[in-house]
Amino acid sequence: MTTTLEHPVTAAIPQGGGLARRQNYATGVAAGVIFAYLFWLISHMTLDSTGRPFGDQVATFTCVGWMIGFWIGIGAFNGPFRWLLGRDHTHEDDLYYAGQNMGKARYWKFTTDHKVVGVQYIVVVMSLLGVGGMLAMAMRTNLITPGNHFINQQIYNSFIAIHGMVMILALIVVIAGPWGNFVMPIMLGARDMAFPRLNALSLWTLVSAATLLVGTLAVGGLPVGWVVLDPISDQAGVGMDFFAMAILVFAVSTTVASVNNLVTIFTMRTKGMTLERLPIFVWGIVFTAILGLYAFPFFIVAETLQLLDRTSFTSFFVSTGGGTGWLQANLFWLMGHPEVYVILLPAVGALLEIAAVMSRKPVFSYRTAVGAIAALSGLSALVWAHHMFTSGWAPTLGGPFMLTTELISIPTGVFFLVLIGTLWRGHIWMKLPTIWMFGFMANFVIGGITGIYLSDIPLDDQLHGTMFVTAHFHYIFVGSVLFGAIAALAFWFPKVTGRFLSESLGRVSFWLVFVGVQITFLAMFISGLKGMPRRVASYSILFEHTNFASTIGAYIIMSGMIVLLVAIITSWNKGEPAGPNPWGANSLEWMVPTPPPLENFTVQPVVTEDPYNFDKEVVRS
Amino acid sequence: MSIDAREVSESPSEEGGGHFQPPEVLDAQHRLGVWLFIGGDIIIVAALLFTYLYLRGVNTSGHWMSLVGYKGHSYAYYQNIATGSVGLPAPKLIHIGPMSAGMEWLIAAVTVVSGAIVWQAERALRATKNAKAYSTMAAVATVVVLVAIVLTIIQLRSIPEVFVATNDSQGMAYTAYDSAFLALAGSGLFHLVVLTFLGLGLTIRSSKGLINGERWFQARLVRFFWVWIAASSVIVAAVTTTINTIH
Repeated sequence: MTTTLEHPVTAAIPQGGGLARRQNYATGVAAGVIFAYLFWLISHMTLDSTGRPFGDQVATFTCVGWMIGFWIGIGAFNGPFRWLLGRDHTHEDDLYYAGQNMGKARYWKFTTDHKVVGVQYIVVVMSLLGVGGMLAMAMRTNLITPGNHFINQQIYNSFIAIHGMVMILALIVVIAGPWGNFVMPIMLGARDMAFPRLNALSLWTLVSAATLLVGTLAVGGLPVGWVVLDPISDQAGVGMDFFAMAILVFAVSTTVASVNNLVTIFTMRTKGMTLERLPIFVWGIVFTAILGLYAFPFFIVAETLQLLDRTSFTSFFVSTGGGTGWLQANLFWLMGHPEVYVILLPAVGALLEIAAVMSRKPVFSYRTAVGAIAALSGLSALVWAHHMFTSGWAPTLGGPFMLTTELISIPTGVFFLVLIGTLWRGHIWMKLPTIWMFGFMANFVIGGITGIYLSDIPLDDQLHGTMFVTAHFHYIFVGSVLFGAIAALAFWFPKVTGRFLSESLGRVSFWLVFVGVQITFLAMFISGLKGMPRRVASYSILFEHTNFASTIGAYIIMSGMIVLLVAIITSWNKGEPAGPNPWGANSLEWMVPTPPPLENFTVQPVVTEDPYNFDKEVVRS
Repeated sequence: MSIDAREVSESPSEEGGGHFQPPEVLDAQHRLGVWLFIGGDIIIVAALLFTYLYLRGVNTSGHWMSLVGYKGHSYAYYQNIATGSVGLPAPKLIHIGPMSAGMEWLIAAVTVVSGAIVWQAERALRATKNAKAYSTMAAVATVVVLVAIVLTIIQLRSIPEVFVATNDSQGMAYTAYDSAFLALAGSGLFHLVVLTFLGLGLTIRSSKGLINGERWFQARLVRFFWVWIAASSVIVAAVTTTINTIH
């Protein structure tokens, strides 16, 4: 049965509301700056200025001021305080905060509509990738020849830390942020996320945290690497306080988002949307959220204790007072490895979704696919110590952690088989999402297999801390997750804009990025195998040729990403019109008009079949 | 393009849709949400207890509970001595014993009492439909939490820091035990502040009739969290009073 879900809910634009309705990003920044200054002033007036922690204490208070001011300024606290005072939002208020009839202004406000939040995530992610990418290009330019002094070595070290963490932040939300918000509630048949205000809070806490993270560069940088292990991080300047505060707030943001996703999925599915009928992308989000809820509290604790050590004379990670750096390493990696799968699992779900739609076949062995995602999620919580094989911590646990790390290759392989099985003998439609998906598959094999090498302690002893490791995780993060994210962008772009992402520019971008990735990171593997350490601003002439190749490859990747950016900007307003369901898909997000109206459905859909029961004769235009 | 394989009901949407849900729908959503938040909070408390037990287990340099140093003056006082011509006074061993178990259990007991009041208030509200009585009891529970906050602040202020001078550096420091204890007590304080906010909310909202005998789901949600905080305060007290010294 064909349905047209038209006539979105309309109502008059709410009038009045006072100051709260004038809040936006600009008032958030203004209040953030004012509060930061006030906290800076108060801490100068009240704290003991003779001690070494004084600078760290002032920096931390200033960061707290920025956060509180920004949240107050943008309106994040309005809801809780109205609840406290018993002045609940009216229906009209809720529609106003959802951005009804507000035009483009709603993208700059604490808007609760999940689709607006999804678009906001797209912009935030692209901004973060842009910042991280520019830092990467500066570092690669410095490494083009041995002994190059394009950038100062201290600044280079800071660039490493900020590039690393900015990219990690961007990749954690690169799929779950935009598409977990824009399309997932519609896929479920829901009208919004379970907690729309918490949803907006997750987005804007990320923005406030990312501002601090990038702001680290303005206060002396962070020349201690992105994992900020003690004791070296304890010796860093106030940039470390900015960094720790940013990560602490980001961890809170991710935890809140995880709760919101799980509640939405388990309580807001429409009638007939049983767990076995869930689009596979939703399962990716389910296990990402479970993993996020497990992992990020460790990050909250790690960064809190780090801040206490730096500002309050405590001895958690400082050995002279009875602490130990291994505690920090454990807390960091208890989060750090699950976080890799928080990054990967949304891509896994999105690619299986794309594979099914673009080959017009059901997901091969749906239950096995869900089981593989669950196993990836579960095992990822048991492998953290493989990052510490060479640190000397608990050598007797090396064997068990090596085993769990190698075991994780089994569900990874199962996922890959499910992906191939889905595509096998399908009517594969070689459009942009499919092309980027195949790019993912090629790169993921290289990134995955080199990971198995690194899980073996004897080989890890040799390769730890070399460019080989850098190449391995860049094949996962850039070659795989970023390719998956671009595939997802190309796939759902028509639902956001009503237009296709430019096929020609998208293909040019694909080939540039794909070739660039191979040149950059295959050469980096060779550098690592020859013994080049990572995180260095200068190197021996032994590594000259491979570094030159890596830098050229990086420039090719950058060219491809610029072409992609041009494609996104030009296609957003002037791309080829796509219609509401250009891929002939069956999941609910394709059943609503484009762009979807506020609250998504005028009649509540009832699901009677799984989303992969395709009509193979569909006309592909 | 005919691609649909679904049916839709012809009933109109609920007015306001997802942005304005009826209480029973909100209850189910918020209940799961609160349990998940409690799950995340359990991991935070578990990580802090892990920190406490791990630092005790490694006892780095024998500094779990002892440091060679001074106490009793400001950092500036010692800094002046360290950098002045007078030189450092002779260091002496400061023995830092476990924090008062009585105080820890008192804070836990007060928190448990506040939780019991909130729980009893909710039961009475559901049985008698008396929102005014609920409002009063929620206010009493909030006051009890404020007492717990005051006690926690007294406890935090009693954690000793000492001035430590080594060959190449000097500074104030908490021992590993004091540090881990401070983190647990600080976490408790943060939770109590959250409870104060929630307790105030319950008091005001029930006095305005927004929480009443027919509409009590928010009271129950807050109670879940309140009981978890009370339970966590007992767990923390039990761990830190029974496992503290190195044998």
